[in-house]
Amino acid sequence: MCRTVARLTLMVAGAVILAASLVAQQAPPGLVTAQELLDGLKPDGSSWLTFGGNYTNHRHSPLTQITPENVNRLMPQWVFQTDTPARFETTPLLRDNVLYVTGPLNLAWAIDARTGREIWRYRRELPPTGTLTACCGLVNKGFGVLGDRLFMTTLDAHLVALDMKTGGVVWDATLEDFSKGYASTIAPLVVKDKVIVGVAGGEYGIRGFIDAYDAKTGKRAWRFYTIPGPGEPGNDTWAGDSWQRGGASVWVTGAYDPELNLIYYGIGNPGPDYHSDSRKGDNLYSDSIVALDVDSGKLRWHYQFTPHDLHDWDATEVPVLADLTIAGQPRKVVMLANRNGFFYTLDRTDGKLLVAKPFVVTTWAKEIGPDGRPVLLPGHVPDEKGSLTCPDVTGATNFWPPSYDPAQRLFFVNAREVCATYYAWRQEYVPGERFTGGAGQRARGPDMRAYGALRALDPTTGERRWEFEYISPSTSGLLSTASGLIFSGDAEGNFLAIDARSGKFLWRFQMGSALHGTSALTYMLDGRQHVLVPAGTTLTAWALPDVARVPSTR
Amino acid sequence: MKWICSVLAVTILGVAHLVAQDIFVRIPPEPPTKNPLEGHADAITAGMGAYRVRCADCHGMDARGIRGPDITQVWASGRTDDALFRTIRNGVPGTEMPAFPAPRTSDVEVWRILAYLRTLAATAPGEAPPGNGAVGETLFVTNCLGCHRVGERGGRLGPDLSRIGAARARAALGRQIRGTVGDFRTGYAPVTLTTPGGQQIHGVKKNEDLFSVQIMDSRERIQGYLREDMREVKNEKQSAMPAFEKLSDAELDDLLAYLTSLRGTNTAEPADNR
Repeated sequence: MCRTVARLTLMVAGAVILAASLVAQQAPPGLVTAQELLDGLKPDGSSWLTFGGNYTNHRHSPLTQITPENVNRLMPQWVFQTDTPARFETTPLLRDNVLYVTGPLNLAWAIDARTGREIWRYRRELPPTGTLTACCGLVNKGFGVLGDRLFMTTLDAHLVALDMKTGGVVWDATLEDFSKGYASTIAPLVVKDKVIVGVAGGEYGIRGFIDAYDAKTGKRAWRFYTIPGPGEPGNDTWAGDSWQRGGASVWVTGAYDPELNLIYYGIGNPGPDYHSDSRKGDNLYSDSIVALDVDSGKLRWHYQFTPHDLHDWDATEVPVLADLTIAGQPRKVVMLANRNGFFYTLDRTDGKLLVAKPFVVTTWAKEIGPDGRPVLLPGHVPDEKGSLTCPDVTGATNFWPPSYDPAQRLFFVNAREVCATYYAWRQEYVPGERFTGGAGQRARGPDMRAYGALRALDPTTGERRWEFEYISPSTSGLLSTASGLIFSGDAEGNFLAIDARSGKFLWRFQMGSALHGTSALTYMLDGRQHVLVPAGTTLTAWALPDVARVPSTR
Repeated sequence: MKWICSVLAVTILGVAHLVAQDIFVRIPPEPPTKNPLEGHADAITAGMGAYRVRCADCHGMDARGIRGPDITQVWASGRTDDALFRTIRNGVPGTEMPAFPAPRTSDVEVWRILAYLRTLAATAPGEAPPGNGAVGETLFVTNCLGCHRVGERGGRLGPDLSRIGAARARAALGRQIRGTVGDFRTGYAPVTLTTPGGQQIHGVKKNEDLFSVQIMDSRERIQGYLREDMREVKNEKQSAMPAFEKLSDAELDDLLAYLTSLRGTNTAEPADNR
């Protein structure tokens, strides 16, 4: 045995020397710069460095090697398995042919993008079962990156910085005490020298916030409470002391406009979710979008989609930025397809509402009035007997990312057509305990068809251009490409390619698990365009078999 | 060289030890044996809401059972708080009763539901319902065995009824036999496939997606078909189970007496898992 070990040691030593000589030949790429993050997805497809590909959250790749004509020839290149009992909800990052992937249960990996082989693995000890309060799965939505550091939020409400080369912890900042109902699953947004994150816990009586940390030191630069404190504007939109445990969590990554120097975040539901006597008022900034100055964290403007929400309709959908002409006027806009059933286009300089139109069957509001407030319809206040409302609790859409094609000026979203019976009852607050004051139950019956559809919306009007229907509601995120493809998934585990111009089905593969909350990613590797699919507990890389590999070993 | 060997051995053993540890499995603390929230007004109200949302679909708004069993009788029949807690927490494996695991469902939530159910519970076992089980068994063999299985005998097109007496309330069984239940249990929705040649395949749907359907046909063949290979895949409105209107009320009582006596053949199953 020992002789074998000795031989192995010699071989390893040899390999190290060989590797050293290789390194000498190829200069490694420099550190990830703030400029690189600003540049976003480049035409060479060499990297994917932020949650939405670009700060605009378009998830729209310039790559064109894979087309509607050849997509049916995609072949799997490798499969990576997490071997965990929980699934991916992550957006992987790619740089210099290495994937950086966060997983469930406080796990993360660096993976060789050529082979799917693990390079390093990070695991943070989970607190004992029963003490974690993540409402909806022990998941994580992805890394942020700057320099040679990766940033990851944790289920026990920390933010850790990892060494990109080793997965070693560089610093560890506490966002809040997880035993009080706080958790964090959001992919950090890195802007300039700051790492911006938020906290989950809207079902546990937290007081939500957005934090910015110094990427170098892990020191907190600012905090924006999503519920104003006493003396601050908006505190009077919460009855009594209900602001202290009003929820308004932040668990979906925002967008950034470098010209305006503003970041945009969708804010979660007010708590308790359904029984609202204790929190009379509009409950700012729950179910709102907020625009914050990225340097100071100061609020520039806000718009509330669902004042005094009774249906758990977090506005934690991905905000998407674009420049559009609406009613003859050029506008810098932020778009958001909301859980409450409406699609919104706002002027992102001042928050003025430009477009609001339902993109699914919506029964609780007649329309959004000229004052920007929903015109409520009667009979949609949950009580102990239950009241039927569309959409359901999960909503018209949710955290799964949409995509935006700036050439066609189309907003693509996986929408759900589901209604629910909402119940409400009085509940006392106990720290760290679920605090919802009710629940919603999907409505069933012969006249209650629950299904989903991929819909293409014109963001200047909210009109639907086309749709691709699923047999049941999909929770998959989207990726679109300049060649006219949309990659999606259905709830039955099919990975799908859809024609972005017509909504026609092009190609499918049964992954064995749905792309729940995840989107495909695309990039170039050795001259071939790859599509990476996180589904369930697997990552699968796809490419065209008849494109020659051009290994980038300079 | 020897020390390298030892260091390596220790390292390898250490790594092996880490790998062997199942990091995801932790034993939950034992719940109390008596419901700590029994009679607590707020808990009962909250429990009612939670019950209606999460349980009433199967057990009925009045807890007398629809697809799931009557739970107003469970205490009277001798079940204890902690056993019921475990049934909710862990579900009943091999049945439609799902588990409600932590952290999504907290201990308190389970106790609230039980506190509410306790307010609906019968104090003594109900009167024995009418009907002769032996006669019912004969009726069953004649009318039902073609499609339903009990123990080792019977068909597979319909649900296995070996433990139906534990799984369904008597009234719910009666409604099902009389054909007044509208929806289909997952895996038993009737479907007809039409081949390009016009041939029809009747069966029950086991699974489906946008591109395919998996069925058991009337000859009990399980098979998947691509939708593109079929002229039509049609969901039928009418159940494959006939409405047994020809059964007299007395015959129905006999049949129900037999069916409610079916409590499963697995004697190794602990009594708690009823």
